[in-house]
Amino acid sequence: MRNVLLVAKREYLEQVRGRAFKMTTFGVPLIFAAILGIAFMSSRGLGSGKHLAVASNDALLAAEIKGQLVGNKDTKTKVDVVSPATPGDRDTLVDEVKTKKIEGFLWVETLQGKPAKATYTSQSSGDFITGARMREAVNHALLDARLQSGGLQHQAAEDLVKGIPVETFQVKKDGAVVKSNATASFWKGYVMAILLSMTTMVYGMNVARSVIQEKTSRIFEVMLSIAKPADMLAGKLIGVGAVGLTQIGIWLVAGAIILGTPFAATILSGDYAVHVSALETVLFPVYFLLGYLLYSSRFAGLAATCETEQELQMYMPLAAVPVWLSFSLIMVVMNDSNSAWAVGGSLFPPTAPIIMFLRMASQVPPAWQFAVSIGLLVLSIVSVLWVSAKLYRVGILMYGKRATLPELMRWLRYS
Amino acid sequence: MPVVELAGVTKAYESKVAVRDLSLSIEAGQMFGLLGPNGAGKTSSIRMMMGMTMPDSGTVKLFEKPFERSNLDRVGYLPEERGLYKKMKVLEQLVFFGQLHGLSAGDAERKATAWAKRLDIDEALPKKTEELSKGMQQKIQFIGSLLHDPGLIVMDEPFSGLDPVNAKLLEQTLLELKDEGRAIVFSTHRMDQVEKLCDSICLINKGQAVLSGRVREIKSRYERNHVIVEFDGSADFLASSEIAEAQNYSGHAEIKLKPHGDAQKLLREASEKAKIYRFEMVEPSLEEIFIQTVGESVDA
Repeated sequence: MRNVLLVAKREYLEQVRGRAFKMTTFGVPLIFAAILGIAFMSSRGLGSGKHLAVASNDALLAAEIKGQLVGNKDTKTKVDVVSPATPGDRDTLVDEVKTKKIEGFLWVETLQGKPAKATYTSQSSGDFITGARMREAVNHALLDARLQSGGLQHQAAEDLVKGIPVETFQVKKDGAVVKSNATASFWKGYVMAILLSMTTMVYGMNVARSVIQEKTSRIFEVMLSIAKPADMLAGKLIGVGAVGLTQIGIWLVAGAIILGTPFAATILSGDYAVHVSALETVLFPVYFLLGYLLYSSRFAGLAATCETEQELQMYMPLAAVPVWLSFSLIMVVMNDSNSAWAVGGSLFPPTAPIIMFLRMASQVPPAWQFAVSIGLLVLSIVSVLWVSAKLYRVGILMYGKRATLPELMRWLRYS
Repeated sequence: MPVVELAGVTKAYESKVAVRDLSLSIEAGQMFGLLGPNGAGKTSSIRMMMGMTMPDSGTVKLFEKPFERSNLDRVGYLPEERGLYKKMKVLEQLVFFGQLHGLSAGDAERKATAWAKRLDIDEALPKKTEELSKGMQQKIQFIGSLLHDPGLIVMDEPFSGLDPVNAKLLEQTLLELKDEGRAIVFSTHRMDQVEKLCDSICLINKGQAVLSGRVREIKSRYERNHVIVEFDGSADFLASSEIAEAQNYSGHAEIKLKPHGDAQKLLREASEKAKIYRFEMVEPSLEEIFIQTVGESVDA
């Protein structure tokens, strides 16, 4: 055990002192903060602060549209009204767009007995946010105008066209009914699944890379005269796994600090209001460790059979298969977290960590499913480790040529 | 007491027999040379001594006991394939090796520093391994194999890649270690070093021992029919009917006489043609014995 810990410590220190670890550990929270900051800054001015014009043959409608555009909280948008508008006015407005006096104009024609026609002309063809605001304002104003022409009072028409938000509630196992947010749950599950798959893959591959580097640098022969292959493999898995946990720990602390800032609270509200439960906080490192051990033990054995890092890279697509499989089930799981696919995926060891987190985002699965999922993962790890240790023991001393499948089978018999 | 004992050891990989029925014994305080052409089975034999591979048949004993991993704590090993952790600092790396051998971090550091001074490489201790030359890395690896005061030192081609100054330093250190009572086994192609350093040898060819024993005893088995002549003048005497083979290196000739060749007659012929400074009957060198023995085993 002493040698296992010594190997783990060496592996841990080497990786933690490396540039890649420092860059990703501190870079990811910085990038996350920067993304939130940019989203915060840009959302404050999204589609607002523009100088626009609304032209229509119907003065009341034009005024209503203007009201919609400058209403609410947006006081920065300046809207000129041209009404009743003539074809000459249209030419003048085009000139104003051309000379950048205004950024765009909305042209609305309402003719008796015909559907209204609206066009938006602007400097930028890609300004879809302003385009969407225009559409919403025109439709809202037209509906309002039609209802008023049908005899409804302005306020009554306004109340009628106002959207009604549908709030969602969830019945918990103890019977408590609590407010929930399906969109926020989806994003939470999605982000946690991505984090889990990313860290599992990255650290699993780190183990494989470490094995192949030691093989190519011929350090193995020295190490084998001092330590048992099983101790070397175990030390490597523990050391690299500890690096992953350290990184996740730093990210969690940094994430909590960033999420505590006022601008994050502004961005992560409504549909993006993410709440991570205590169970998720506990199970995330557990599933990371199990997923990582399954993944890395498989690739440690595989790496021992390779001659170069390039050869190892060729197996990368195989490495990503469980992740692809998990993400291909994402809609099925989010739609019904208790469907057969969702339950099966959360119990099947290669996909269990990711699918379980996707399920947990919408509904906490029964305890027995956690137990089976974790139990099957542990069994798989033990089986894969058994095969990998045999391949590792023989493979690390084999140089010179790529091992064929029959040779690999013989290696399993040798050791 | 034999520190290493191989008895009837055989190891085959798929269809190739790497070592066949090899037996040897190495005593404490003995320097033992494992010789043989490339692919003869030297590394395979060493790997079995180190427990990296297990023999298909026969037994390996270390310190008079059947092989056990725990005995490796008394063995220092320098493999043919040199390898160190490139990103690690040299001292850290040596401490790591020492700790794996059971030393405390403090002891490992003290011993590493002392050995580095002894081998004149202490300035490398704070550096990263990747900053060192190959020769320096080899010295570091040599230190790594000695930190735990092993009773047996096993080295696969220890002199390859060393410049003459460092090779001399290594030779000197090995002799000192031998004098301290440690058993030393090394494989090499350098016959001059074997001749200078080894008490006993085992020559392996195609996995089999073709010659083994104490160096003095082996050399005495061969007829003293070699002559070294240092001369000034004509080298025509090298065409003498008494000579089987001769190599002339500008006034220094190494001559092998024919069976029953007359050395006195050759001396007379030589002194008629040239001024003779040295005329010495010598035993065949280990290199000649090596070439002759390997050649015979190939012919057989």
